[in-house]
Amino acid sequence: MPNVHEDPAALKALQDELYREKVRRARAMTPEQRLAEVFELTNGVFARMHDGAMWQLGTTDPVRGWQEVRRRLDRLCRVRDQGRFVHQKPSVP
Amino acid sequence: MTVEALAAAVVAACEAEGVEHMVTGAFAYGYYGIPRSTKDVDVVLSLAGGEPIRRVVARLDSLVEFEPQVQFDTLTWGKRQVGTTRGSPHFKVELFELFDDPFVLEQFARKRRLFSPQLGCATWLPTPEDVIVQKLRWGRGKDLDDARDVLAVQGPETLDMAYIQAWCARHGTTARLEAALAGIPPM
Repeated sequence: MPNVHEDPAALKALQDELYREKVRRARAMTPEQRLAEVFELTNGVFARMHDGAMWQLGTTDPVRGWQEVRRRLDRLCRVRDQGRFVHQKPSVP
Repeated sequence: MTVEALAAAVVAACEAEGVEHMVTGAFAYGYYGIPRSTKDVDVVLSLAGGEPIRRVVARLDSLVEFEPQVQFDTLTWGKRQVGTTRGSPHFKVELFELFDDPFVLEQFARKRRLFSPQLGCATWLPTPEDVIVQKLRWGRGKDLDDARDVLAVQGPETLDMAYIQAWCARHGTTARLEAALAGIPPM
């Protein structure tokens, strides 16, 4: 099977098809359903962050897990506020 | 606490204090575009009436711990008051002051009322055209993707493109609009 990453045209076609699928799915939903999905995704992401933090800490204490999630999110906010996020890959010599 | 329960509490606090408001951020984007997760509840508040933000912050005190100082964000909405839920998960709440900018004022004046079954109440959202104009104006990578997504999901044929084009011309973001439209593959 050819590697799509070695063929720019094929990669673009794949990206476009994936994007079309996302748009078609969103169009098939009502605005209320889309808003409900924002809620569902958000609650799910936080639950997974919590699960991951607890697993990494090796704890069964949910409070410690949430403290760790908060610590990480606060750090991300500080990084963002200081303009340290970059959107380009670092150049490779 | 779920994020929708928090959003409902913020909206209820605004309503209880009689503060005109508009929900923005990922909620407004998701309503018109491609749903994604968020970490915060963003609400723009009118400054009409006496100290509306202080009153909303006070009403949310049992639920949200707000930072004492007001932050200033030149990219987005001017002044904002940021808080974090006291319980878990630790969602953020950002209350933005409506400020004297022609587009921001028009966006707020054009806001739409909707009833959300998940929130269990009615609230206000910007129009899709205004979400697009604002995102193009901010112009960060994610904003430009969001603008393209709303254009793609709503379809330019259903949007008031003349309105969008007029504001983009005033903001100097016409090239961004054209790039966003060009970035939508044929459906």
